Amino acid sequence: MIRLRRAPSEGAHRLLPDLELPRGETRGEAGLTRIGAAGTESPRDFEALGARAVAAAPVEARHLALDTRGFPAGAARSLAMGAAIRVHRFSLKSAPGHRKLEVVTDAPRSLGWERAEATLAGMAFARDCIAEPANRLSPEGFTQRLQALEKEGLSVRVLDAARLKSLGAGGLLAVGGGAVEPPRLVEIRWKGSLDAPPVAFAGKGLCFDTGGISIKPAAGMEAMRADMAGAAACAGAMLSLARRRSPCPAVALLAIAENTTGARSYRPGDVLRMASGLTVEVLDTDAEGRLVLADALHLAARRHRPRALIDLATLTGSVIVALGHVRAGLFGNDAALATAIAAAGESVGERVWPLPIGERHREDLRSDIADLRQCAPAGSGAWGGRLLPDACHAAAFLREFAGSLPWAHLDIAGVDTAEDDEGLAARGQPTGFGVRLLDALVERHFEDPHRV
Amino acid sequence: MPDIAFTKPTLPRSGALVLPCFEEEDLPSLAQALDKQAGGIVNRAAQASAFKGRKGQSVLLWAPVPSLTRVILVGLGKREAFRPEEAGGSLIPHVRMEREATVATEAISGAEVAEMALGAMLRNWRFDRYRTTEKPEDKPKLAKLFFATAEASAAKSAFPALRAVADGVFLARELVAEPANILTPAVLADRCRELERLGVQVEVLGPKEMRKLNFGALLGVAQGSANEARMVVMRWNGSGRRKPEKPLCFIGKGVTFDTGGISIKPAAGMEDMKWDMAGAGAVIGLMAALAGRKAKADVVGLVGLVENMPSATAQRPGDVVTTASGQTVEVINTDAEGRLVLADVIHYAIERFDPQFVVDLATLTGAIIIALGHEHAGLFANDDGLAARIEAAGRATGELCWRMPMGEAYDKQLKSEIADMKNVGGRPGSSISAAHFIARFVQGKPWAHLDIAGTAWSSKDTATVPKGATAFGVRLLDRLVAEHHEG
Repeated sequence: MIRLRRAPSEGAHRLLPDLELPRGETRGEAGLTRIGAAGTESPRDFEALGARAVAAAPVEARHLALDTRGFPAGAARSLAMGAAIRVHRFSLKSAPGHRKLEVVTDAPRSLGWERAEATLAGMAFARDCIAEPANRLSPEGFTQRLQALEKEGLSVRVLDAARLKSLGAGGLLAVGGGAVEPPRLVEIRWKGSLDAPPVAFAGKGLCFDTGGISIKPAAGMEAMRADMAGAAACAGAMLSLARRRSPCPAVALLAIAENTTGARSYRPGDVLRMASGLTVEVLDTDAEGRLVLADALHLAARRHRPRALIDLATLTGSVIVALGHVRAGLFGNDAALATAIAAAGESVGERVWPLPIGERHREDLRSDIADLRQCAPAGSGAWGGRLLPDACHAAAFLREFAGSLPWAHLDIAGVDTAEDDEGLAARGQPTGFGVRLLDALVERHFEDPHRV
Repeated sequence: MPDIAFTKPTLPRSGALVLPCFEEEDLPSLAQALDKQAGGIVNRAAQASAFKGRKGQSVLLWAPVPSLTRVILVGLGKREAFRPEEAGGSLIPHVRMEREATVATEAISGAEVAEMALGAMLRNWRFDRYRTTEKPEDKPKLAKLFFATAEASAAKSAFPALRAVADGVFLARELVAEPANILTPAVLADRCRELERLGVQVEVLGPKEMRKLNFGALLGVAQGSANEARMVVMRWNGSGRRKPEKPLCFIGKGVTFDTGGISIKPAAGMEDMKWDMAGAGAVIGLMAALAGRKAKADVVGLVGLVENMPSATAQRPGDVVTTASGQTVEVINTDAEGRLVLADVIHYAIERFDPQFVVDLATLTGAIIIALGHEHAGLFANDDGLAARIEAAGRATGELCWRMPMGEAYDKQLKSEIADMKNVGGRPGSSISAAHFIARFVQGKPWAHLDIAGTAWSSKDTATVPKGATAFGVRLLDRLVAEHHEG
């Protein structure tokens, strides 16, 4: 919780955005840090400034007071938002503890802070889940955290392995089959008040991804604790909707599993029968995200007949090569939905970029033994086999399971964790990418009772 | 190439007869005429084989009458989805081994028939120079291709411009297909000179001239090779104006072979690097197409031609080179050489010609294949209007482009500790940082960059492009000029 105050508390270190000081500069004084704010205009810039203010405070300052007095309400809110995101930090270090942040404002009521807090709560939930290491956030541990969302007015249902078997969810069951804790599908619902079908989110929730039998190289594998960032973002967005009592009915299906090597792990060459009935040839057990999502997408479509279906997943390394750590890859089958998502993302600084699903991408997934294969074979790409458009292939695969609903897929592999200190989250911290975007998307496009 | 002719819709007296049929429409009238002679064989065969005219369907009849070697029914699909070029191209596999073939196109407009002829030509192309032991009976034989049409004069008048574009495509494909021991920078420059007979003014600059122009980046790439670098300037002044307006400017990367240099590439697939000059090939083909059809526009095409070799004289990772613009570049990876070549050529082109816009084509990054695959070229631009026109021209010609993002966050990946920039920005978003590298040399001119690494070479046949060199860019840019810059 961020406290709003009309004057800084005693002993708090003041963070003062200074319009006289050039941007990028900071000046430390006793009990005060001035942050260069000259020429700051857009909400995005003010958010960045708020985050920079927190980053610029001396480490020993544990109680920060962001002084927004004199700024218009919109700018003040953005400053506070950026600072709040930056100050939230997951850590298992014994000391020091969390920093406290208060926002100093002339007009606490005109700040619209309740709305902002709904989003911040969703982000905090998602970011904490993502940051948790896999020994603390296992499939069971993740499920428990999600179940705790019931107290927010969300209904949470866990479809366990037995239920998944009866639903025929062969993708999710195979991927999670090697782990000690079985896979599950967690369904979170927000009733809303509109008489309309829900908006559905599907999230990839791999609590840890070793790659399975197609095991990953050791270097960098620790980052795979964040391979549930898609699911966490969906859950965080649901929390935001609940906190702000969104009129829009929504549902999130989170495919939760651990992909590990084990005596019961699935293998390259296995053929899976998915919940939709399609058969899939496995080529690479490390392309597991699309398998669990395929079942989640199909079940979301079948069980809820949503108005729109949006999935989020840390799906491919290829999207990082394509778009870097700046934008998420956006795929889909519906131009209007894609446009709405891109606009929502732009409005909150979670930026996406459309990428294609071409005929050739689908052709590359033809299998000799099953309805389709999960990815193109290693070595089948250009220039000696190394170059494969795997993000496009994954999207072409998912499209087969989304049915005819308006569907979009966000490949967030490059943006789930902050790569530098220049964004809102500190370097190495989860960004919570997707929470704000989905929250904004629902607010902008799915809450109008006349457009149901 | 076969001779193409447009004839009256009568039954041919020899060769093969192709009967393209739309789905849910009657067979062409020539089919009925043939049936009269041959006792209803065409209709019977269509029925017996459940031929409905669907796309991809075909029925072959051998010698149904004494004068014809074969008759082929080919499905075109529904008329509303008719793509004449594709239809024309997809006929070729059926008639390639015939000397002479007639296509029954009575139910198709003259303009569309001309486009079918273009598609057929594009598909029929084959690079045969180095097949010395292939038996004559195994070689494709098509020498004459007739289109029987009621609108022969309309087709005839539309065809020469299309034919000129096809010739540009063939030139580009041939240059791209030529191996690097044959096609060195100097040889490629000589091939450019052949455009003079079409009325293109051609200047060739060698290392000495480029040194005077301070082409430190381009020459740095070239310095490891025994084959000297060239830059070729091709000018087509087709507007007819005494004093040409600001020209349109097209620039191609022409690395005749790219080993990667000291940052040498893995062996697997390196043979593909003979086509690392496909951007230059496309620009040369484009100039041939524009001049061939006497495009009413003033256009300059420039290509930077080098070979990137590892040797005792090759540039090293860590070297700092000074570009013609004066900006310095720290060469981190000698295999990111295309952008170094383009930097100098683009700077020169802008200084000398002050063009309306610059479009560059380059097989620039493997990353664009990881991003998009092989159906779309990556399109980067600092001008939304230009980008939209290029995308539209791409859709019209089947040479598809996909717009990619740019932005400060990508640009800063190029920051160097010692020079104005590095030549690579790391693996994440590497096609985009490559585009930003080029953008630093365009001086704010309207500019677009096509990364054609995924589309310059095709591993499978498509309707109008046999596998191999595609000449991607020739038709797209020819269309861009035709749609927006003539008249």
